[in-house]
Amino acid sequence: MTIAVTARLRAGRPAGPQARKRTSLRLLAHQVRYEQLSFWRNPQSAVFTFIFPVVFVVIMGALFGAIGKSSYFGGLSALQYYVPTIAALSVLGSCYGQLAVALAARRQAGMLKRIRATPLPAWAYFAGLLAHCVLVSVIDIALIVVVGRLYGVPFPSHWLAIMLTLVLGAASFCALGVAVASVISNAEAAPAVAQLVLFPLMFISGTYLPIHSALLNRVSGWLPVRPFNEALTGPFAQHAGADWRDLAVLAAWGVAGAVVAVRRFRWDPRPE
Amino acid sequence: MPNAVEVSGLRKSYGRVHAVRDVGFTVGYGEIVALLGPNGAGKTTTLEILEGFRTRDGGTAEVLGHDPGERSSARDLRERTGLVLQDIAVEPYLTVRETIARAAGYYRAPRGVAEVIGLVGLTGLERRKVRSLSGGQKRRLDLALGLIGNPALLYLDEPTTGFDPAARRDAWQLVRGLRTAGMTILLTTHDMDEAQALADRVVLLSGGAVVAAGEPAVLGGRDAERVRISFRLPAGYTAADLPVPSHSANGMVVVETGAPTQALHRLTDWAIRRGHVLAGLTVERPSLEDVYLELTREGAPARAPERITR
Repeated sequence: MTIAVTARLRAGRPAGPQARKRTSLRLLAHQVRYEQLSFWRNPQSAVFTFIFPVVFVVIMGALFGAIGKSSYFGGLSALQYYVPTIAALSVLGSCYGQLAVALAARRQAGMLKRIRATPLPAWAYFAGLLAHCVLVSVIDIALIVVVGRLYGVPFPSHWLAIMLTLVLGAASFCALGVAVASVISNAEAAPAVAQLVLFPLMFISGTYLPIHSALLNRVSGWLPVRPFNEALTGPFAQHAGADWRDLAVLAAWGVAGAVVAVRRFRWDPRPE
Repeated sequence: MPNAVEVSGLRKSYGRVHAVRDVGFTVGYGEIVALLGPNGAGKTTTLEILEGFRTRDGGTAEVLGHDPGERSSARDLRERTGLVLQDIAVEPYLTVRETIARAAGYYRAPRGVAEVIGLVGLTGLERRKVRSLSGGQKRRLDLALGLIGNPALLYLDEPTTGFDPAARRDAWQLVRGLRTAGMTILLTTHDMDEAQALADRVVLLSGGAVVAAGEPAVLGGRDAERVRISFRLPAGYTAADLPVPSHSANGMVVVETGAPTQALHRLTDWAIRRGHVLAGLTVERPSLEDVYLELTREGAPARAPERITR
């Protein structure tokens, strides 16, 4: 509130760096607020993106909650294994999946063009989306951790490593989501393409079942999902800190996604 | 004072199709100018180049003193222009007030949200979700989004398509009010009545080039054309009995004349002396639509979109 008022008072004067920073923050908060309103009121996004991972962890808990530490789950209990992978799945859904579908749909409907016609800078639009996606992911993961606790999975101890992984993962998967939305021109095809890429990738990365094939693990280790799963599993279940190698692979994918997004992103539904 | 919009020799091709071949016109500050023309005439492409959505292949364009293709001034230009596009593109799950308030946050000095809601006639619907609005109400919301930044120049791309006649009158009233308040408006339309009712000047496009420009009342020499006087011949007379030369069409007698005052006087005098009336009497000049159809008809010389042959 104070920020908004100060920014308004200063709006008429030549903006110093301090005032510009406040105006930018205000703009970002403004964007996040309306992204949140649109998200939570849309039953499709709220149910599929947000509720699904929570329901998934409840079901997995009911099915496998009794399975204790085993070598099949890499020395973890079944739920210790699933809480971090489903947490990762929720980030994939609310960042990659949501952006790929929503941006393609907004472009096709002409909403992006309309935004582009306003003075809102592009960075503010995308930073607002990223912050919105991180917020949804954080709430989702908190719920997943609480459900896990009900099934006897202890709260994680390395919160700092989790936050770092989460923000990096969310940023990378947001960039990949924007990249996919940039490459697909047809909004009807977007959900199918996004899922077609994601589902096999999650499967070979051990999201649904532990993978015991050395070859598959080596391949998926260079793709974005397994590093993210592992980087979350460490601090979640094994009381380990940040896994820098996994984070580096994840960041590299994020950069690649960002490059494609910056080069190919279009606001206009019709090609030039 | 320079013009709000100055365009000359504008060119744009998509692949091998010349969408815009040679377009030039100006819009003075405080003026309403209508771009008229059939589908594919180049209206939307021209508008999109001015709005900064498309690059141009050639020619010059200046909007509020800036080149719309120049990236460094793009934000400043967006701050001072508003636009209403053909597509209804609004977030379905926000309310009317939220949609407008969100856009207001993007401008340095926006109009008041409540003021704009009143201006476009959405008062009482502030808390309604956008998805539950009717088509016409959504168009008004679109118009509100074009106005919220308090622009100096407003682009309206077919602003009243889908409006009922009453809503269209209201929209025209609003647009005239904006002009009175000093706003410059560039609009496209298919609707001749709209161009006639709103525009100070009309620019008629066909096949990517300007074929006529001027005030709606004089476009294409409308004012200088011959006037058609038509009526039904009283029973018992033939066209040869009339005091002026005529021909017949659809059961009516038609007199075409460059001196309508004299011709009418002689005709009515002739009828009154004989105790008759000229049933179904009409006097008309070619309508804007007649001029439009004449100037844009297919096969009109060098007006079809031209293809490059290699």
